[in-house]
Amino acid sequence: MAKDVKSKHKKMICPSCGVEMNYHADKIDYTAALTHPDKMDPDLGGILEEVHTCPKCGGTEVRMGT
Amino acid sequence: MNSNRLIFIPVILGTSRQGRMSEHVAKFILEEVSKRDGVETELIDIRNLSLTTSDAGENIKDKKFSETVMRADALIIIAPEYNHGYPGLLKHVLDTNLKEYIHKAVGICGVSAGGFGGTRVIQNLLPVMRELGLVTIFWDGNFSSVQNIFDSSGKLLDHSYIKRIDKFLKELIWMARVLRYGRDNVPL
Repeated sequence: MAKDVKSKHKKMICPSCGVEMNYHADKIDYTAALTHPDKMDPDLGGILEEVHTCPKCGGTEVRMGT
Repeated sequence: MNSNRLIFIPVILGTSRQGRMSEHVAKFILEEVSKRDGVETELIDIRNLSLTTSDAGENIKDKKFSETVMRADALIIIAPEYNHGYPGLLKHVLDTNLKEYIHKAVGICGVSAGGFGGTRVIQNLLPVMRELGLVTIFWDGNFSSVQNIFDSSGKLLDHSYIKRIDKFLKELIWMARVLRYGRDNVPL
């Protein structure tokens, strides 16, 4: 089951280094949901964001979660 | 884990007031961090950040400040206690970033003219740190009666603080290394 969920997440690529980033955190943005209600996760009450970090340069990127 | 990168721990001087004694604390901490092998640091003086007060949050990011926090593995916040709370400008500055903080370590040094070493400002900052995604350590820096710890030029008069800060920094650096490994390698 966990494997199926994980496979939905395509690895982010670091825009600076071009290497695969590590997805290590989720964050709910409640205020963004006010301006983009269509993107709000009704179960979580906000917009889910994934946090990815580059193991080479340490840079962090955020993208909308699923 | 890319071991070539030094652990980077900037020190945030969290007040812009004239005559701030916290500046002595920040410079002392900066010097102590600089002594550690494999660690680099720099001072972030919030007085030097020109942030508007007509807006807040990520809308008013300071590019250099955000890049510095992005590169950081941990932060040290020097927070004077003003009327039992933290400086409003410090909160205004901290609120301009978000993704830059997530799963990074933070240590807080409280500064007070009285005898409680900024314990109340530290306690008030802890929930803010948590919401920003920072990971707090269980050592603090408590600078009580700060006017007696440094002379007017910033020279350290009470050398017991060297040992106290050594313990604080060991814990912070350990947490910074562990969290960097996690950010780089451990998937959610």
